[in-house]
Amino acid sequence: MNMSRPLRWLLSGSQSGRQLRLAAAFLAFFALALTLSPAVGNPEPIDLGGLRWSHWIGLATWLAAFYWMQRAVSHELPEHDRLLLPLAGLLTGWGLLTVWRLTVLFGLRQALWVLVCTALIISLLRYKNQLLPLLRRYKYLWLLAGFIITALTFFFGTNPSGIGPDLWLGCCGLYFQPSEPLKLLLIIYLAAYLADRQPLMRGLGPLLAPTFVMSGLALLLLLIQRDLGTAWVFIFIYTVMIYAATGERRILLASLLSIMLALFFGYEFIPLVHARIEAWLNPWLDSSGGAYQIVQGILAVAAGGLFGRGPGMGSPGFVPVAHTDFIYTSVVEESGLLGAIGLLLLIALISLRALRIALRARDAYPRYLAIGLSAYLACQALLIIGGNIRLLPLTGVTLPFVSYGGSSLLTSFFALLLLLLISDQSASRHAPPPRGGPTLTITAGYLIAFGLAALVTGWWGLLRAPDLLTRPDNARRTQSELVVRRGDLLDRNDLILNTTQGLSGEYTRSYNYSALSPLLGYSHPLFGQVGLEASLDSILRGEEYQPALTLLMDELLYGQTPAGLDVRLSLDALLQLQATSLLGDQPGAAVVLDAITGDILVLASTPTYDANKLDENWESLSDTDYSPLLNRAIQAAYPPGLTLAPFIYTAALGQSILPAAPGPLTYELDNATLECQRQPANPANWAAVIASACPGPIAELGLTLGSQGLISLYRDLDFYSPTPLRLEAHTPSAISIERPGLAALGRSTLRLSPLQIALAAATLSNYGELPPAHLALAVEQSDGQWLELEPLTESRAVLNRALTAATAQELRSPYLPLWQYAAPGVGENGETVTWYMAGSMPGGTKNYVVVILLEQDNPILAKSIGQRLWLAAINQE
Amino acid sequence: MNDIAAYLLLALRLLMALALFAFLGWALHTMWRDLKAQAQQDSSAQAPPIHLTPQGEGTEPLRFTVPEITVGRHPACEWLLDHETISSRHARLSFHNKNWWLEDLASRNGTYLNEEIITEAVVLANQDVIRCGEAAFRISLESQS
Repeated sequence: MNMSRPLRWLLSGSQSGRQLRLAAAFLAFFALALTLSPAVGNPEPIDLGGLRWSHWIGLATWLAAFYWMQRAVSHELPEHDRLLLPLAGLLTGWGLLTVWRLTVLFGLRQALWVLVCTALIISLLRYKNQLLPLLRRYKYLWLLAGFIITALTFFFGTNPSGIGPDLWLGCCGLYFQPSEPLKLLLIIYLAAYLADRQPLMRGLGPLLAPTFVMSGLALLLLLIQRDLGTAWVFIFIYTVMIYAATGERRILLASLLSIMLALFFGYEFIPLVHARIEAWLNPWLDSSGGAYQIVQGILAVAAGGLFGRGPGMGSPGFVPVAHTDFIYTSVVEESGLLGAIGLLLLIALISLRALRIALRARDAYPRYLAIGLSAYLACQALLIIGGNIRLLPLTGVTLPFVSYGGSSLLTSFFALLLLLLISDQSASRHAPPPRGGPTLTITAGYLIAFGLAALVTGWWGLLRAPDLLTRPDNARRTQSELVVRRGDLLDRNDLILNTTQGLSGEYTRSYNYSALSPLLGYSHPLFGQVGLEASLDSILRGEEYQPALTLLMDELLYGQTPAGLDVRLSLDALLQLQATSLLGDQPGAAVVLDAITGDILVLASTPTYDANKLDENWESLSDTDYSPLLNRAIQAAYPPGLTLAPFIYTAALGQSILPAAPGPLTYELDNATLECQRQPANPANWAAVIASACPGPIAELGLTLGSQGLISLYRDLDFYSPTPLRLEAHTPSAISIERPGLAALGRSTLRLSPLQIALAAATLSNYGELPPAHLALAVEQSDGQWLELEPLTESRAVLNRALTAATAQELRSPYLPLWQYAAPGVGENGETVTWYMAGSMPGGTKNYVVVILLEQDNPILAKSIGQRLWLAAINQE
Repeated sequence: MNDIAAYLLLALRLLMALALFAFLGWALHTMWRDLKAQAQQDSSAQAPPIHLTPQGEGTEPLRFTVPEITVGRHPACEWLLDHETISSRHARLSFHNKNWWLEDLASRNGTYLNEEIITEAVVLANQDVIRCGEAAFRISLESQS
């Protein structure tokens, strides 16, 4: 078969015929893609019955309707505008298939409405010469009839969806929203009135007075009905029409002012408006309540990205009422930014085309009418699209031609019919077009507004998408968790800690060592992610360390990431289990660190919880004084107390500013005397009094070093920055030391996590070198090779090499080959914690540091846990 | 089978984008062509000269060859008339579709053609009398042949 033949057929013939064929081709590709979509990414082989077929009915209906309409219009209106019908056709078809894709039943109804609209247009074409004059002559009658029908909704109004304002009339499954055609009646009234009266009247006031009354009445009706969206469309239409007729820029300014005023008063006094504006200004604060729809809409746009998920491949149904108010986000999710630009261009083109028809109109009445219709199409589209993407507060209006809804579709098609009639009558011997001013301004306004809508869509879809898509309320993420296998977490000996079980489509996460949960965290569809599951998420999900081509192709083909990658941790699971059982149920933490490499072997926190049983225990987990979800070893911070004395002592030694002998051993604080922790062997020896944690000499050291000296020491030890680690760490408070004596005793605003103390302690075991904290060791790439992950920082010399070794020697245990130091930390309210730190003597081959923290005053227990843990670490393997 | 579906779907999406942007391209092309045709029509129409003879005092007639003449007190007007009954932009004479047209530009005192007030654009004939405020003129058109 010759491929160029269908292409030639597609592009041949008359302008509107060719355009309609291109639209049909677009819709046919769309429909075919929808049909295939269930097979993509499905692990099971799928037969023909499992594909989608029903929407072809919609496409067939569309084809019949527009073929019929095109023929009738060409026959009856030989001079009509050739672009209107194709533009409206593509918009209608795109909307129809999108609605069908969302809900088959609504799609079926929409298809019926398209047929009804077509029949209406064709039957009205017979009265093509009478229609416009008739509308003009009885303008007040039409508008009043519109008012009465709208007012009927006060008494007989219902809402087909069951909730919300009662804006519909109807029975027996057929509903009609009178405020939709009311817009057209207002446009007809304004056009007829202005054309009749403007030549006779001088001065703006008398000319506008009657329109004010009629439009005000309409607005009042809508406000009582709480149909704020339509009210807003009214104001826009009124402004544009009056401005176009008079050319007075004051009108634009006055309209802008009155909208601001209305927004302000609405915000202050009308709860519904207040809620809408709140949801617009701060959607993230209330993303599960009032702003749920907006946030979900934006998430759909973000999921679309540049190219979209593809027809049938997204989840636009996650947005409530996607088929009417949020049809735009549905289109963007599956067609991407490119589709969004296409859709916006279509609407902009049809609005601009209407303006051109206005310019070429025979006289004032059709000119104003066309301008009003153009304003209706552009303003209503911009209002709802702007509301969808948070450019404007959300108002519940439909997207003309695209949204689901019979009244909306009828109104759009009636507007189309009027525009076709006007364009057909633009006489060749027509009067000079009015001065460009207002029309040019309106054109510029449209272009700016549609351009802005495209830009904001791109902002959400491209720039903000990476952050947005990781939000826990993005249900797409949860959905893909069920289909894409998440990587495992392994310990340093390749013991599997967290893994994924089940078959594709129903994957669940399981946690082999529940006592490790405070560190490893969980990945749960409802409760989100914490711990390493959260911080290593992008690797475990397969978004990082994959070849760029694999990522791109999987994204384009399946809308998914490739299978997740396994991560090997530096953790020693058995050692951590031992630490947890030693700590028992008391709140506390334990850290074991390789002093040279910085590898973290243990990062234990008690009490623990079982990540396998989140559903059963969630209430007690989230809401208890023990806060088991908190990893105390890294996320919590405690007053350091006297723990820092060895570092301060070493730093002071390094500066050779130590007085010959220490002063009094005790320290007077708030009428209390602080004593030494242990009895010093020699009260005149600095090393001995520091080793015994005597507060007097330690405070003296602080004063000798001064605020600046202490701050620079603490900064060297990384106390003022969160530990750089692939795990969320405690963020320290601001740098400030007012009283260096007290600060040396650990009584300042400084709070430290056990991991921070452990890294500092490593300097004593490693000649003053501060190692980089290292937790994630390697990633198993898709080819099975392990890729070593570098630590996020490098080790660096902080304290003097010989002096740290000497300090370690001073603190050496009489029984074990380790240095050790135990001291209390006291907080502002007198609550006491116990610190214990110990480490191998510098120079050994196995060089481990242990830090124990207990949220109680129990140095003996802390010491016993710490020593046993250190021995276990040394003796492993 | 399902991988084939994935590749097929990708190809279909490409075709969709092509069809959509071909459609939009044609539409934009049409609009551009219309605009160009309009501009050509406007520029190709050479306005025949028009003579304006003030009524009353025996001043010289004015001859214009431009296709658009604005009457008013504003200095930017082609035909500057400094009279208190005349608005800053009072009326417009324009050559359009082979005719000279006269329209009022929402002036305070109105524009009259042969002593009848005009409310919309009207076609001018030779020897018509235009009155803006209290200033009146007789026009004479040079035939184009």
